[in-house]
Amino acid sequence: MENAEATAWLSQFVGKNLRIHTSDERVFGGQMKCTDKDRNIILALAYEYRAPPEDVIRKAVEDSGNPSAPVTWSSRYVGLVVVPGGHIKKIEFEENGTGKSGIIL
Amino acid sequence: MAEDQTGPATASELPPDTIAAVDGAGPSRHVPAEPPRPSVGLPLRQQLKHQPAAPQARVHDITEKFTKASSALNVGQLVKDEFFTLFESIGALEIMDPKMDSGFLQPGEALEDACDTVAPLLPEELIGILDQLLCYEMAWHTGYPLSQTLFTSVYIDRLLWPEPRTLEQAQFYRGPIPDERRPGLMLEVLRSYCLALVKCCDFVIAKITGRDYFEEEDFCTHTYSRVLFTQMPMDVFQRELDAAIERLQDGTEMEIDPTVRDAIIARLNFRKDFLSALDLECSLDFIDRYWPPVIANLDPINTTHQLGKAVPGAFSFKIQRRLASTVPPRPTVELDFSDAFSKLKQLCTDGEEAVRVMSLDPDPLEYQSFLWAFASRKPTPLPYSRSYLCTLLFQESSVSIPLSDLKSLVFPCSTILDPSNWALSPPRNPMMPKPHRLRLAHLIDEFVERAGQAYLDFWTALGQNRCRLRRMLNHVIIGWDQLQHDAGFVDDDLMRVVGEMGIQDQVIPFPLTTWTYHKKLWMIEKIVLLGFEQDIYLPDEYAGMYLFLSSVSRRRNALLQTVLDHFHDRRSALLHSDAHADAQEVQDGAQYITSLLHEASGIRDLSLALSGFYTTLLYLRLIPRPTRPFSTPQLRDELRMKPFLTLTPQEMFPFPDLQAQILPYGAYDAPDSRLWEDLRGEEYWRDIEGHIKGAKEAFAQVKKLGAKAARAGGVEGAWGKEVQGVLASCVALGVEVAGVRRAVGWGEGGEGEVRTKVKVEIPGEGGRYSGGWVVGRVGRL
Repeated sequence: MENAEATAWLSQFVGKNLRIHTSDERVFGGQMKCTDKDRNIILALAYEYRAPPEDVIRKAVEDSGNPSAPVTWSSRYVGLVVVPGGHIKKIEFEENGTGKSGIIL
Repeated sequence: MAEDQTGPATASELPPDTIAAVDGAGPSRHVPAEPPRPSVGLPLRQQLKHQPAAPQARVHDITEKFTKASSALNVGQLVKDEFFTLFESIGALEIMDPKMDSGFLQPGEALEDACDTVAPLLPEELIGILDQLLCYEMAWHTGYPLSQTLFTSVYIDRLLWPEPRTLEQAQFYRGPIPDERRPGLMLEVLRSYCLALVKCCDFVIAKITGRDYFEEEDFCTHTYSRVLFTQMPMDVFQRELDAAIERLQDGTEMEIDPTVRDAIIARLNFRKDFLSALDLECSLDFIDRYWPPVIANLDPINTTHQLGKAVPGAFSFKIQRRLASTVPPRPTVELDFSDAFSKLKQLCTDGEEAVRVMSLDPDPLEYQSFLWAFASRKPTPLPYSRSYLCTLLFQESSVSIPLSDLKSLVFPCSTILDPSNWALSPPRNPMMPKPHRLRLAHLIDEFVERAGQAYLDFWTALGQNRCRLRRMLNHVIIGWDQLQHDAGFVDDDLMRVVGEMGIQDQVIPFPLTTWTYHKKLWMIEKIVLLGFEQDIYLPDEYAGMYLFLSSVSRRRNALLQTVLDHFHDRRSALLHSDAHADAQEVQDGAQYITSLLHEASGIRDLSLALSGFYTTLLYLRLIPRPTRPFSTPQLRDELRMKPFLTLTPQEMFPFPDLQAQILPYGAYDAPDSRLWEDLRGEEYWRDIEGHIKGAKEAFAQVKKLGAKAARAGGVEGAWGKEVQGVLASCVALGVEVAGVRRAVGWGEGGEGEVRTKVKVEIPGEGGRYSGGWVVGRVGRL
């Protein structure tokens, strides 16, 4: 990808909601404010989501007998965060409900 | 708003699989698609409202392309929001950095400390936990956030999260529980105490945020989106406590040592009374009955503290990880029980003192003295106590506050404030001139309304702690300066009406300006005195600052002299016309003016004497003068005078004048030869000693006239102590001046020799008779 193209493509996501999965299995959802060559990403108004501990999941599955039983993730507001590129496992773009964001994926 | 709740409701509404099914993109397992709602920081006592569900979001995995694109960026190139600045980015928390990221777990570390909140407790352990909670509560009162104090309690955490809908749900467990695991008596007692404690916090936050002005820097109102039973009325908490006390007293459920049991009951009783005292809606008619029972309960808590056994597992630093928090993780604040207890005691006695404001004469000047004395209490009242006092004070609004203040200073028994003026009605024909008295009433109304905000600002400042009081007064005087300017116009109109009525001799010229100017000068004096009290000025600036103070109080003194003359004129005029009752009232009013006048002349003389004293010490080089290579005396003077630069009339000395006065013999390093001649002469010292004597007499007069005359009758004790302190400062200054004079006698060979014989010590705040009056101690070497 050319620099100009990359810049334009990335700029689309500025101010948009991203979900970033980190290496310690947490997910951060928030508005992208900034990124750089090392894929460090700054999110504003971010929330942290965390899966419940394993034994809770196991218990939920055992109790319901359903291997994909829903469990409650814990979440909390963390505000402005920077997620270092090295710890990012997955980046997801959250399109708003109308689906008319006009973003080229 | 329940922004950080992804409770079962959300999860069941949007099972993750459906998201995947809708958009066909990479699934985002388990992550509920709840759009973040930026609402943190809003007042948390707002009604909890459910927002309409947002339209379903679609999620696309863009990891690969994002990675590719970002690697194509140049080194140092940023793709960013154009309004996003470097400055803002510094505030971002770095995820996965243990120092910044409160959610970071060390490898193998569990999210939470394992603590079984339904495991049985010993009575001694219960006392330990209750006392530790009290320590954290007091730490919170002194300004630490809940996250580092009370919210470290696993029990409180369990009660508040997930958020209970009813008080019944607020348990140390959630959902069904087998009967053999049901909490026992000790846990039930703990629960009732914790519930009431949380409600206390709710009341405290509501009281403090209910004020017009408060500072997060003094007190942290953040509740991390936990709801502190805001919606629940107080009596349910008291019922829980009552039930707990009853079960303990009953004694059939559990065998408890009677002393331990009584210790627990004392704590519950304390919490109950404390909760009632903090109640936002407590009855004003019985307001003086709330604090005494709380205070009576304190000692039993203190004396039985050693019965308790600490339970470190009941508190966990890790709870912060689950609190909405935009700050790095911070350690738990540990406050000793003895410190916490003395804070608690202070909170209660300050509360009891604040209640006295209700029994004062309804006179704004009395309130002003009360506020001043309250802010001067040592140790400084806690933020809650200050809010408590201000809430009580601002409820009283039946009298127009600026109006009665005006009356005391400039309108003794005056036609201008005659209540019947307000009873007149305007003529039916708008072309006809309005009656004079009605015009007077309108002018006064106009002014009082205009003065309202300035007056409120003034009182708000008085309700702060001393440091902020000084800083806020710097701003308040600007408002009063503006008010003084406006008062001039109203005065012109007023004097015109008065002239038409032919009663000029009954009214002091420019009454409103006089009143405003007097208040402003009073505030400037306080700003400077508070500056000394708080060690804002360095010793080598003392001479200049005391000189400035004396010039301000000289003006106030002159102003008061005209006011007093007016009072005397009014009195004799009234006596002539046989209005003896009115004449008596004027005479009583004149007491206040006389007291103010003596105070102003005392301040003028004492500060003049101190200025002379410190100038002498500077010439003798007994006071350190730091080298300041990057500033000039003129710039420093400008900096000190900054709050006063814009005032009209100009209060500060023009710089050359100031220099001439504090450097009468040229530079301190190279004084001209007259210095030693003068220092050895009589006259030089006679001046200083004369000022000291004048100050002593003036303050003695103030003291003699008493607190009532100074309109500080409600705080007679504190007022008396303050005056006594100033008098003691006068005496001390006399002694020190004599010491310097003696030393000059020994120093035949000039200041170098004096310095080998004596030294000067500047006493700290504790070593002074009066905070604002710094008298250097001259000691022999």
